[in-house]
Amino acid sequence: MPAPRIDYQPYDDRTQLARYIDRYPLSFTRTPSAPLIARPLTLSERTGPAELDQRFDVGPMDLSRLAADAPRATGQLIQISGRIADEDGSPISGAVIEIWQANSAGKYIHDADRHPAPIDPNFTGEGRLITDAEGRYQFFSIKPGAYPVLESGWWWRPPHIHFSILGRSWMDRFVTQIFFPGEPLNETDLLLNAVPDRDVRERLIFEFEGTSMGEVNAMGFRRDFVMRGRRRTPALD
Amino acid sequence: MVSPYCTIGPFFPASFVEGHDDLTHYRGGVARGQHIVLSGRILQEGGVPTRNTILEIWQPDASGIFRHSSDPRCSDADPGFAGWGRARTDAEGWYRIRTVLPGSYAAEDGSPRCPHANLMILAIGLTRRLVTTVFFADNPDSVRDPVLDCITDPTARKRLFATREGPESYRFDLVLRGENETPFFLD
Repeated sequence: MPAPRIDYQPYDDRTQLARYIDRYPLSFTRTPSAPLIARPLTLSERTGPAELDQRFDVGPMDLSRLAADAPRATGQLIQISGRIADEDGSPISGAVIEIWQANSAGKYIHDADRHPAPIDPNFTGEGRLITDAEGRYQFFSIKPGAYPVLESGWWWRPPHIHFSILGRSWMDRFVTQIFFPGEPLNETDLLLNAVPDRDVRERLIFEFEGTSMGEVNAMGFRRDFVMRGRRRTPALD
Repeated sequence: MVSPYCTIGPFFPASFVEGHDDLTHYRGGVARGQHIVLSGRILQEGGVPTRNTILEIWQPDASGIFRHSSDPRCSDADPGFAGWGRARTDAEGWYRIRTVLPGSYAAEDGSPRCPHANLMILAIGLTRRLVTTVFFADNPDSVRDPVLDCITDPTARKRLFATREGPESYRFDLVLRGENETPFFLD
C-alpha cells in the first residue's frame, strides 16, 4: 500500500521567526540574499529517511541520570511531554525526537561552549526517542540553566530545550527550541522575540502541567508540535 | 497552526552526528553502485567558512530508488544503502560524506530525473533550515529536470552541479550568501 499523498505548503512567515534579527549578526551574513526559489515537490522531497527505529539508537529518555541506578543530576527534576501531529491533527507516530540542553548551571557538553560553568558528571543533556502510535513523547530531565552568549557582550539565553524531529519525509524535518514559562530572560531573548505574533510565540514555550508526587517527584511541562502537511483529498489525485 | 522553527544553535551534540556521514554501509550491508565522497566547503558572506554547521543529505540509491513507502519501487531499494546522512563542518567549513552516485528515475511525467541528492543546512544564524539540491551530470547545459528548471539564471543553475574531481570524488561548495551564492529553494 503506498503511503497517503500529503500536501506540503511552504512555511507561512507569520507562523515563524523572522529570518533577520537585529543584534544577531550571523542572521545577516548567512541568510541568502537572493529570493528562495519555488519548486514543485517531487518524489525526492516527498520521501525521506524511514525505518527510523533501525537507524538510530533510542535513549536515554531519562536524561536526569546516566543509568537507572545512578545518582540524579543536580537541578530541578522535570518531565517534558507532548504530541506530534500534522495539520489535519493526525498523529505522527514513529518520528524521531532528539533533544539537547544545558545542565542546571547553563553548561553544554560541547567543544563550542566556552562558558566557564561547571560540567555535571551525572548529566549529558542528550536524549532521543521514537514517538508512539499516538505521536506522543515523554522525557525526564533537569531544568536547564540560563547562560550568556559570550560573543554578544550582553545577551543571556533563557532556559530552553532544543528539539530535532525527523518525521514522515524530508518535508517534515524540523528543528526548534522550547522555552519555559515565566522566565524573566524570555522578555529579552533575541530568538524568542523574533516571533512578532504573541500566539505564535506561545508555541515556543512549554505549558506548565503541574507537579507529580510519589514514585517520581517532578514538575511537568508540555509542548505539542504541529508538522506541515495535510492529506490530499482523493478528488485531487 | 504549524510549529515555529528555530535555529539549531552552536551546541548540537557531536554524538548525534557521529556515524551518520557514511551512507554506503547500512544494517550490515554494503551499498551497490559507485561509491563516492561528496565534500566541499560551506561559506558565508565574504567567503568566510561556516564551521560547526550541520549538513543533512537524502537521496535515492544507485538505481534511483528511495527507501520510503511513497516510492512505488521501495521494496527493491538497496538494503545496503542508508539514503540519509548527517555531517558537521570543521574549522575551515569542510564537510565530507561517503555515499553512492545517485541513480536516475522517471519523474511523474515519465521523463528522467537528473541524478541528484537533497541537502539541508542547519546553523547558528539561520532561524530555519536552508534546502537545496545537488545534481550530478557530465554536461550540465543539456540537463532538463523539473526542480533544476525552476532556476532560470544559467549561471545560478550551474552552481547546483557537483564537480567531478575523480572517479570516486565529487566537490560541492555551498555559499550561503554573497558572491557565487548557491540557489536555495523555498521551504
